[in-house]
Amino acid sequence: MTQIPLSISNISKAFAGKTAVDDVSFDVKPGEIIGFLGPNGAGKTTTIRMALGLIKPDSGSVSLFGQAPSAHAFGRVAFLPEERGLYKKQTARESIAHMARLNGIKAKVAFPLADRLLDKYGLSEAKRKKNKDMSKGMAQKVQLLAAIAHDPEFYILDEPFSGLDPVNQQVLENMVREIADRGRTIIFSTHVMEHAERLCDRIILMSGGRKVFDGTTEEALEEAPRRLVIGSEDNRLKDEISAFAETIEAREDGALTVFLKPKAESHAILEKCVSKKIKLTRFDPKSPSLHEAFVALVGRDEAAKMSADVYGEDS
Amino acid sequence: MLPQINLRRVYLIARRDFLGYIKTWGFWISFLMPFIFGALAIIASQFDLDMDPVRYETILDDTGVHAQAIIDNENELWRDITDAIQNIPVVGNSKASKEAVQPKTIFVEPPSNDIEALKSYVKGEKLITIGEAQVRLNSATHIYEGPDGIEVDYWSTNISNQYAKGAVSNYFKKQAENDYLASGGLNSDGYADAKANAPVVKAFDPSKVDTGNQSGQAITDIDRIPYGVAAFASLLLWLTIFSGAYMLLTSMLEEKLNKLLEMMLATTRLSEIMLGKLLGIAVLTITAMLPYLLIGLAAAIMAALMGPPEMVAALANAITLKLLIFFPIFLVLGYVFYGALFIAMGAMAESMQDAQTITTPIVLVLTMCVMVVPIGFKSPDSPLIAFASWFPLSAPFAAIIRLPLDPPWWELALSASFLLVMSVGVIWLAGRIFQYGVLSGSGVKGITNWIGRVIFRRKARG
Repeated sequence: MTQIPLSISNISKAFAGKTAVDDVSFDVKPGEIIGFLGPNGAGKTTTIRMALGLIKPDSGSVSLFGQAPSAHAFGRVAFLPEERGLYKKQTARESIAHMARLNGIKAKVAFPLADRLLDKYGLSEAKRKKNKDMSKGMAQKVQLLAAIAHDPEFYILDEPFSGLDPVNQQVLENMVREIADRGRTIIFSTHVMEHAERLCDRIILMSGGRKVFDGTTEEALEEAPRRLVIGSEDNRLKDEISAFAETIEAREDGALTVFLKPKAESHAILEKCVSKKIKLTRFDPKSPSLHEAFVALVGRDEAAKMSADVYGEDS
Repeated sequence: MLPQINLRRVYLIARRDFLGYIKTWGFWISFLMPFIFGALAIIASQFDLDMDPVRYETILDDTGVHAQAIIDNENELWRDITDAIQNIPVVGNSKASKEAVQPKTIFVEPPSNDIEALKSYVKGEKLITIGEAQVRLNSATHIYEGPDGIEVDYWSTNISNQYAKGAVSNYFKKQAENDYLASGGLNSDGYADAKANAPVVKAFDPSKVDTGNQSGQAITDIDRIPYGVAAFASLLLWLTIFSGAYMLLTSMLEEKLNKLLEMMLATTRLSEIMLGKLLGIAVLTITAMLPYLLIGLAAAIMAALMGPPEMVAALANAITLKLLIFFPIFLVLGYVFYGALFIAMGAMAESMQDAQTITTPIVLVLTMCVMVVPIGFKSPDSPLIAFASWFPLSAPFAAIIRLPLDPPWWELALSASFLLVMSVGVIWLAGRIFQYGVLSGSGVKGITNWIGRVIFRRKARG
């Protein structure tokens, strides 16, 4: 039976009396891609640091490959911290080879490996360039390659997409898919929901130091309210569909946004309108987004905080 | 319990730190500095470049009595110096030795008999002709009869080199001494003989071997050699520790600013990072000091081959078994003690300004510790030095400077053991500060709060 890479049980951590992580538990199973979501200050980085044994939890326990985090996991984990950098005077290949060697790869293998990775990800010209002379985007790719060059079983990536331009975000998404295709286990934190939606089998939502959701993406989406935009010049419309709706909001374009009741279905509304001979000008069922699920789970204030993190309105 | 160490990772971290510095221009400039200076000196000698050019002075003597006497005095002085130097056995280029005693000040006839006109030459408005060259007059000394006797005015725009002023002044002082002695029917030669025949105080050391006529027990300059060797060793130790510790601080700060430590901590033990840094910078410090050590070794070999036999013997005796054993011990312990302190301070800092502020007290202490060298050289038996050899911050330097007094083995071993215990404590504390400093990124305030909470168990607020 394959060993569970990470198991976290009821861990809590406070700094100077302020709770950063509060009674969080979850397991990471082999081969999973997990999105670790939440706004800044939700406790993601602290949880990751406890998972790696960089800081000790005040209470609860962590098991990394079946044991408390220690040297036994060195080389089996790739860790990309949120705050990351490179030695300015090293070249890109030296940076990658140095980290690979610290992770147990021999020098003879490490340097050709660094060259291959740089070639593969379009950084051939940066091989012998000093890190201080590279663009921010190039340096970020080198940081990631340095963290993952030894291709371990388990990847922990803390905000890997932050600071990357859209093109490089796509490159990173592809990179994560390739890693996943090799059967590796990945947990990455982010506050960009779209990445999690596209990449993850499972998501864990954090808010205010607590885990507020842990399940598949589909399960998360079920938490989001289902919406329908419907329009008609017939004044009876609102009354006829009110039985299906939690709330109905009038839109500026004259249509209505209908938030469906838990068991209500869009096609039932359509059937009702047809039976009542209400001529529709618009009928547009909306797919729920992960962001809407998050709003439903943590409330609008926390969700607004997360949007601010994404769009840089908050540090 | 000793921390577990993976030597391969320690080596990789040490190697990275070492190469990181080796690849900088600054390192190579300081490494090659002694050779650069040596090369510049050779070039200067080949091209006859001179630090102190020949200067031309003149004396306008209205009395007509003193000018020639002053010049004769100077010529006699330089002849004496030349004779003295040429009597020394010369190694290498004898021509260079002779040239070294050529006077740098040449007195010339005044180009004018009017002091106002001479000022133009001194200011460089007019030049004098020496051979085929037109040169500036460095000074003009005017000797004349004043209302109260002889008066002397010295005119020059060169306020840093006033050799001629000193020569004239010495001449008149000597003349005043002669006049005074003559008034009592005496002369200067008799006065000099009297001083030369005064009883000489001979110093003896009863602990030295008596060869029968006490000459073996006489204290000579050579007896100071062991103290000089101890002072040199102590100073070398201080310099090595200081430069090594400071490099550790900047290395640590570089790690923090580069934000690589967190990634490394997921793959490397904290103890391995610290040990790797200590070793890498230790090798770097030794490499940086290699030119100076080689030059020192070359000088010692030269002295052994060419110096007086008694000096060579004293040098050999000064390098005792205790020095050979305890110098490396205190070097390693001192480096580890201060190195760990500086690593912790580097982990606390978030910028170079931060680092300077944090290290100021410890740098002051370290600077004060170097004072044990002159104090110990003068009075190695001082109670202050004895205390300093037990105080961890000064122990490495004080213990070495005391060696010529031959302190008991147990005392040295105990002092080293005490420093070892303190070093282990400092490493433990540095390790905790290091881990917190690296992961918190919250600077000095965060660290002091943490020390209050964790080390002193103060209750957290909020």
